[in-house]
Amino acid sequence: MKRLKRRTIIALILAAALAAGMLFFLLQLALKGSDWVGFFAAQYYNAGAIYDRDGTLLYNGETGEYAENQTTRVATLHLVGDQNFGTSLRSVLADRLTGYNFVTGTSLGSHDVSLTVDADLNATAYAALNGHRGVVAVYDYTTGDVLCLVSSPSYDPENPPSNINDNPAYEGVYLNRFFSSTFPPGSVFKLVTTAAAIEEKKDLADFRYTCTGSLEVEGDVITCPYAHGTDMDINQCLATSCNGAYATLAMELGGRTLGDYTDQAGLLDSLNVNGISTAAGSFVAEPDGSAYLGWSGVGQDKDLVNPCSLLAFMGSIANEGEAVVPNLVGSETIRGTAIPAALPAGKDTYETYSPETCQRLKEMMRNNVVSQYGQSQFGELAVCAKSGTAEVGGGAEPHAWFAGFIDDADHPLAFVVLVENGSAGARVAGSVAAQVLAQATAD
Amino acid sequence: MEELFTRLGVIFSQLGDQVQAALENPDTGAAIAAAIDVILPVACGILRVVAVPLAILIIVRCLMSLFREKTGKEIWGWLTLGDGTRLDLCHWENALGRGAWADVSLDFPTVSRSHAALLRDDKGNWKLQPLQTKNGTRLNGKKVTHTVPVHSGDILDLGGVGMEFYAISEAEEREQAMRWGVAERPLSPGRTLGYLMVFQILMAVQCLPGREGQEIAMIAGAFAILMAAMWVTYGIYRSLKRTAFEVETIAFFLCTLSFAVGAAYDPTTLLTQTICVIAGIAVFLVLSVLLRDLKSTVSLRWPVAIFTCLLLVFNVALGAQIFGARNWIHIGPIGFQPSEFVKIAFLFTGAATLDRLFARRNLIFTILFCGFCMGCLALMSDFGTALIFFVALLVIAFLRSGDVGFVALMATAAGAGGWMILQFKPYIANRFGAWRHVWEHATDSGGFQQTRTMSAIASGGLFGKGTGDEVFLKNIGAANTDLVFGVISEQFGLILALCAVFLLLVLVVYAARCAATARSSYYVIAANSAAAMLVFQATLNVLGAVDILPLTGVTLPFVSLGGSSMISCWGLLAFLKAADTRPNASFTLKLPKRIRGWIPPDADRMYDDRYNGWYDDYDEDAYDDYGDGYDEYDDYDEYDDYEDEYDDRYDDDSYDPRGAPPGQKGLGSWDDLLDGPLWPEGEDPLTGRPRNPSRHPEERGKRP
Repeated sequence: MKRLKRRTIIALILAAALAAGMLFFLLQLALKGSDWVGFFAAQYYNAGAIYDRDGTLLYNGETGEYAENQTTRVATLHLVGDQNFGTSLRSVLADRLTGYNFVTGTSLGSHDVSLTVDADLNATAYAALNGHRGVVAVYDYTTGDVLCLVSSPSYDPENPPSNINDNPAYEGVYLNRFFSSTFPPGSVFKLVTTAAAIEEKKDLADFRYTCTGSLEVEGDVITCPYAHGTDMDINQCLATSCNGAYATLAMELGGRTLGDYTDQAGLLDSLNVNGISTAAGSFVAEPDGSAYLGWSGVGQDKDLVNPCSLLAFMGSIANEGEAVVPNLVGSETIRGTAIPAALPAGKDTYETYSPETCQRLKEMMRNNVVSQYGQSQFGELAVCAKSGTAEVGGGAEPHAWFAGFIDDADHPLAFVVLVENGSAGARVAGSVAAQVLAQATAD
Repeated sequence: MEELFTRLGVIFSQLGDQVQAALENPDTGAAIAAAIDVILPVACGILRVVAVPLAILIIVRCLMSLFREKTGKEIWGWLTLGDGTRLDLCHWENALGRGAWADVSLDFPTVSRSHAALLRDDKGNWKLQPLQTKNGTRLNGKKVTHTVPVHSGDILDLGGVGMEFYAISEAEEREQAMRWGVAERPLSPGRTLGYLMVFQILMAVQCLPGREGQEIAMIAGAFAILMAAMWVTYGIYRSLKRTAFEVETIAFFLCTLSFAVGAAYDPTTLLTQTICVIAGIAVFLVLSVLLRDLKSTVSLRWPVAIFTCLLLVFNVALGAQIFGARNWIHIGPIGFQPSEFVKIAFLFTGAATLDRLFARRNLIFTILFCGFCMGCLALMSDFGTALIFFVALLVIAFLRSGDVGFVALMATAAGAGGWMILQFKPYIANRFGAWRHVWEHATDSGGFQQTRTMSAIASGGLFGKGTGDEVFLKNIGAANTDLVFGVISEQFGLILALCAVFLLLVLVVYAARCAATARSSYYVIAANSAAAMLVFQATLNVLGAVDILPLTGVTLPFVSLGGSSMISCWGLLAFLKAADTRPNASFTLKLPKRIRGWIPPDADRMYDDRYNGWYDDYDEDAYDDYGDGYDEYDDYDEYDDYEDEYDDRYDDDSYDPRGAPPGQKGLGSWDDLLDGPLWPEGEDPLTGRPRNPSRHPEERGKRP
C-alpha cells in the first residue's frame, strides 16, 4: 500500500501541471488583460468617447461615429484612428474607454477620455500643410500636453477614398508620421553638433569660419547653397546654417562624440506616449576625416530622427535640459459624467543637455529667428527655432523642417513642423509654424 | 478603490433616478415591472459578489472536513521479538522482510528481503503468506509453504527469527475505531449543503433577468430539482449511516455552475442537464454499491471490455458527423457520446487487485484495450478524448508497475503517433499552428475562440458581468462546453471559475491521500486514475481555452454543458469515493461489525463544533437504535464466497501468475516481483520512527 501511495505522485504531477498552467495564465491575465479587452473593444464591449480639450467629440465608442465636422475628422484621424491604424488612441486607449481594470473587468461601465489636443488647431495645421505630406506638432514643454498633432496625408474615416490603396498621394496614409516614422533631419541636427561643440570645444568663442560655398574633404565636396560669409562666429554659422562650418566642427569633434550627443538629446530613443511607442532615430558614427562624418554633422548622411523625440528635444532646450515626454490624455471620466475615473498620469521626463548648454542653444536659436528667419512672421512671440532642409536624394525636393519653441512662460510651447518635399525649410515649414503658433497663442 | 466607490455611487444614483422615473409611471403594474427591471441587474451584481465568499466558505468547509489531521494511528496487531521488541502491524496488508520497503522490517541476514506477508480481512481474520521458499517460514514450528490462517499467540519463525503474533482484541479495535472515528468526523455536511443551497439560489436568481415566464419556470425548476437531488442523495447517505459528503458536495457545487451556465445561455438546455445529473447520481450510487463487492467488480472486466469494444465499433461504423467528430450515437431523440462511458469502462478494466499486481502480463490486456479505444476515437477524430485515455493509461501503468522507463517509452511512442496524426489531419495541425499565436489568428478558426475567451475572462474581472446582454462569449460556438471556463469568468467572475478548477485539483489530492489507508490496491488505482482523468481533462479544457495548450475541445468535468459527460463524471466519482476508508465515509466499504455498534445515528449533529462536549450529550437510546439497525447492511455471506475463492487460488498448485510450471508454484520469484511493483518502503508513516530494530547497535545481533 505504501509503495502504491508513493506512485500516486503521477496523479499529483498532473494536478500540479494544471495548477502551474493556471498560475501562468493568471500572470498573463494580470499583465495583458487590458490588451485582451482592448483588442475587441469596438466589437464586444461598451466603449466611451474621445473628446478634444474643448469637449468636441472626436470618436464615440458606443456608436463608432467620428467627429461631426468633416475637417475635424480629417485633421484628427491619425490621433483617433480607425480599424486600419495600429498605433492610434482608439486602440491604445481601448482598455480605458471600456473602463477595464483587473478587479472589476469592464463591469462598472465605460470611460470617456478627453485629449489635450485642440481639434481646431489641428484643422488649422492640416490646412497649413496645404496637401503636402508632413507633420505638425505643438506641445507644452512644461507639462507635456500636446496641443496639436497632425500627420498628413489623411482622409475622412466616415468616407474613405475608394482609391486609397492605389493612389500614390495616399502612400503611407495609415502611418502616424509623428510617432512611427523617421526622417533625415537636415540642418535641424546642427543643434546637436552645436551642443557638442559648446561642451567639448573650449575655444568655441574663438571659432571663426569663412564660407566659400564648398568645402573639400578628401576629394569629396561639402557644399553650401552659397558663400555664407567670412569670419563667421558660431552664432552666425548656425543662423546661416553653414554646412562647411558644421562639417568642420563635426570632423573636429569626431563621429563618436557626435553620436554620444545625439543619444544624449534623446534622439536615438523610443518614447512611450500614452502606450504608443515612437520610432527610434539613428546616427552612424562615420570614420574620422571622412566627408561622411562632415555630412553626418549637418544632419545628412545616415542621420534619421523621429518628429516626436525631436519635439521633446526642442522642449528640453527651452526647459533647461529637462525633456517632458508628450502626453495626449487630459482626463478620464466615467461615461456621461464629469466624475474622474483615473488619476492624471504623472509627467514623464528625461534629461538632455546641461542648463548652461541649453541656455546657449536657446540664445542662438533666438538669434536665428531675429537675424535670419524674420521675427515679423511670428508677431510678438519670442520664437527660438532652427530650420532644416533635408536632402532626400532621388531628385526629389528636400524635406523642409522648422523646429523650436516659444521662450515665454505664458506660452511654453515647443513645435516641430515637417513638410515632406517642401523645399526650403525656413520659408515653407516656418510659415506653417507661424500660422499654428499664432492660433495656439491667440487666447 | 476610491474609483470603485465613486463608480458604485454613480451607478446607485442613476439607479435611483431610473426607479423614480419608473414609479412615476401612471400605470401601477407597468411601473412596478419597470422598477424591477431597473433594480434586478443591480441586485444581481450584489448577489454575484456575495456568491464568491459563499463559494469559498463551502470549499473551505469541504477541505477542512477532507483534510483534517489524523490524530491517532491504526494498529491492527503486532509482532513481539525474542528480546521484547514490539513491531506494530499498521496495515491490513503487511510485508515482512529484510528490505527497506517492507512494512515490518527485520534486518537479519537469514530473513529474505520479502519474506512473508501478514494479511487481514475485514472480519479481523489474519493470514500468513510466505513470499519465498529459500529461507524457511514456520508457524508454531510447522513449515509453511502456502497461505495459512494465523491467530493471536501463534509463534512465527522467519528464517530462524522467532516472533509472537498478536492481533488486537475486539475491545481494542472498538476503542481504536472510536478514536479514529472521532478524529475523522466530518465537518457537519448538512450545514455545508445548506450553504450550497443558498449558493444555488444565488446563482439561479442571477440567471433570471431578461427571462420570461416559461424560461423562469424552467430555471427555477431545474435548480429546485438539483437541490432536491442533492438532499435526497444526502438522505440516502444518512440512512446508510454515512456522513462524509465532501466529494459529493464538490460535485454538486460544480453541477451548480453548470446549471448557471446553461440557464444563462438557454434555459431549455437545463432539461437535459437536469435529467443527466439525476442519471449521473444514479450511476454513482449503483457503481458505489457494485464496487462494494470486489469479486463481482473484477469479474465484470471482460463483459465491460467486450461491450465497450462493440459500442465503439458500432459508433465508428455508424456514427454521424457532428462538430467534426463522429463521436455521437443517436437512439431516437436521445443522443450520447459513447467515448464518455468508455472512460468508466476503462477504469473497470485498468484497475487491479493486489494479486493481479504480481502479474505484469495483465497490463498487456489494459494496453491492448486502451489502444483499441484510442484507435476508435482517432477514427472518430475525437483526439482530445483519445489523449485523455492515453494519459489514463500512463497513470494506470505507472500505478501498477512503478516503472518510469516503461511509462516514458509509451509516452515517446504516443508522441511519435501524435506527430503522424498531425501529418495526416491538417485541421488539427491548424490548431497547433495558431497555438501560442492566437492573437494573430483572431479572425480565423485558429484563434477565434481562444482570443474571445481570454478577452471575455479579462472583461469579467473577479466578480463577472452577469448574464445580460453585455456578455458575449456564451453565444460563441461551443462556448458552453469547450470555453466554459471563460463563460463562467465572464458571467460570474474569475474567482468562481478558479474555484471550479481548484476543486478538481482537490479531488486528485483526495485520491492520493486515500491511497495510504485504502483496503485494496484496486480502489487506489481506480481512484487515482479517475482523478487523473478528471484533472487532465480539466487541463486540456481550461488551458486549451486560454491558449496555454492547443484547443482540443474536451469538456470541463461536471461543468461543461453535455449530458454524457455529466453522467460519466459522476461515474468516475464513484471510483474516487470507493477509496475513502474513513469509517463513516463511503458506503462502498462495509462498516466493520465492531465499529458499527458505536457510531451514533446523529453523528453529524453531535460532531458539530457546538457540541464540543459531545460525550456528555451522548444519547444511549440513539446508540441502541443504531445497534438494531445494522443487520441489514451485513453482507458478509457474499463476501465469504469471494474469500474462499481467493484462498483456493493460492492453494491451487496450478495457479501461478507468472506462469511457472505447475508444482513449483513460482514462489521463488516472488522476491523479484515484490522488489519492483508492490510493497512500499521507508519508515512507519504513522510513528515516523525507524522500523528496523537492529539499526540500533545495542540491538544488533540479538536473536531469539
